[in-house]
Amino acid sequence: MAYVSEVKQMKTGPSKNRVTIKGTKEGLTIIMDDQCSFEDLKEELREKIAKDKQVFGNGPEVEVTVDTGYRYIGEHQKEVLSGLLKDAESIRIKEFRSEVISREEAKRQREEEGLTPVTQIIRSGQVVSVRGDVLLLGDVNPGGAVEATGNVYILGTLKGTARAGVEGDLEAVVCASVMEPNQISISDVMFYAPDRYEKKQSGPLFGEPVFAYIATPEKEISFEKTRLLTQFQKQ
Amino acid sequence: MGEAIVITSGKGGVGKTTTSANIGTALALQGKHICLIDTDIGLRNLDVVMGLENRIIYDLVDAAEGRCRVQQALIKDKRFDCLHLLPAAQTKDKSALQPEQMKQVVEELKPDYDYIIIDCPAGIEQGYKNAVSGADQAVVVTTPDTSAVRDADRIIGLLEQEDLAAPKLIINRVRSHLSTQGDTLDVDDVVSTLAIDLLGMIVDDEEVLKAAHQGEPIAMNPNSRASIGYRNIARRILGESVPLMSIDEKKGFFARLKSMLGLRA
Repeated sequence: MAYVSEVKQMKTGPSKNRVTIKGTKEGLTIIMDDQCSFEDLKEELREKIAKDKQVFGNGPEVEVTVDTGYRYIGEHQKEVLSGLLKDAESIRIKEFRSEVISREEAKRQREEEGLTPVTQIIRSGQVVSVRGDVLLLGDVNPGGAVEATGNVYILGTLKGTARAGVEGDLEAVVCASVMEPNQISISDVMFYAPDRYEKKQSGPLFGEPVFAYIATPEKEISFEKTRLLTQFQKQ
Repeated sequence: MGEAIVITSGKGGVGKTTTSANIGTALALQGKHICLIDTDIGLRNLDVVMGLENRIIYDLVDAAEGRCRVQQALIKDKRFDCLHLLPAAQTKDKSALQPEQMKQVVEELKPDYDYIIIDCPAGIEQGYKNAVSGADQAVVVTTPDTSAVRDADRIIGLLEQEDLAAPKLIINRVRSHLSTQGDTLDVDDVVSTLAIDLLGMIVDDEEVLKAAHQGEPIAMNPNSRASIGYRNIARRILGESVPLMSIDEKKGFFARLKSMLGLRA
């Protein structure tokens, strides 16, 4: 991130310059030194707000990013800083930005971004639930379900239920070598298999691997050949 | 030391009891020592299918609770000396037995028999858990119906969580003329959905109903196609490799001649 070098420079500067307020193209940024104690930071922030009343004063509401550099700030500390900034009435905190995250968050992020391989036939009554993307080497039988917060890729036959983007990702897709689903959902958009009497004959809906996605602007689940997935993901 | 095989299906009415009776009989025909255990407490049928209902004195629950020795509860078959039945209790329900007790009964029987065939009740509750607890192997019975296959799939999923060898599949009541017209699932559809080894299939045959009515397992009748199916399954259980029977009913000249002369078709 671009702010890092600035943070480092500040350490060599005068000791009473732990909080810097800068205007960047993304809006106002409050840069905080990451070497001093949190108490010092609080103190200086309080002074700055009192002194720079004219900056924050009565103008229109400003969005502020708080950048804490290499300091980890937990929920409690975020609350303290938010409390202080509330004194400057026209400020609204857009986000806290930090170069460091906790192990727990890192683990969650890795899961969220990662691809989890699962080798199993998901049978009736079984549910496989994964954070991030799932790669299923096997079938999903009728009555079984596979779900992921990201994409669902199935190297096998999907005859049961697949749910992608279960936490609201509208861009998630469901890919299957053989697409013969009972039900697909992406985020909160549902697709039901055509009723049995409508089907001309039993068998897959498509003759080749396809993926399911949410088509805009209809907000309906559509299917497209898997080889066109690359175009979809570029959009 | 014998091997305990549980016959299960999830769905009711697909032929678990008939299959248990006939596999037991077909194995006994091969001279093996077989014990059939009916675990369908409260709804016992295996004794009726075997034609032994009038000989029951003690039952599985009596043996499990120690009111009699396990050997006292066993009924000897009227056709084979090497075939015994441990009947279920009719006056109690499934909760009268615990998985540990069932396991103990089966362990006690194992040294005396080559195979112990456990007939499982329908469902996935207490009765199923009891039946599976004593088993080393499982055989899943299904018919080529969507609902039966769905339940079989569920049961296979549950069996995979148990400490058992990979379950094997029997497809019962296969009708050639329906599946070739695409009106029902065919054997290949079922096998590819369930993705487990096929132990055998039994063609739909009226003789099976007649035999059950008479309390005589169909496996005794060498002229029935269903009987041949059960005998083939027994041979596969014993480790022989037997090719799958064709389900086609079209008979050639020689087959017609043979059936006229009363030989097996």
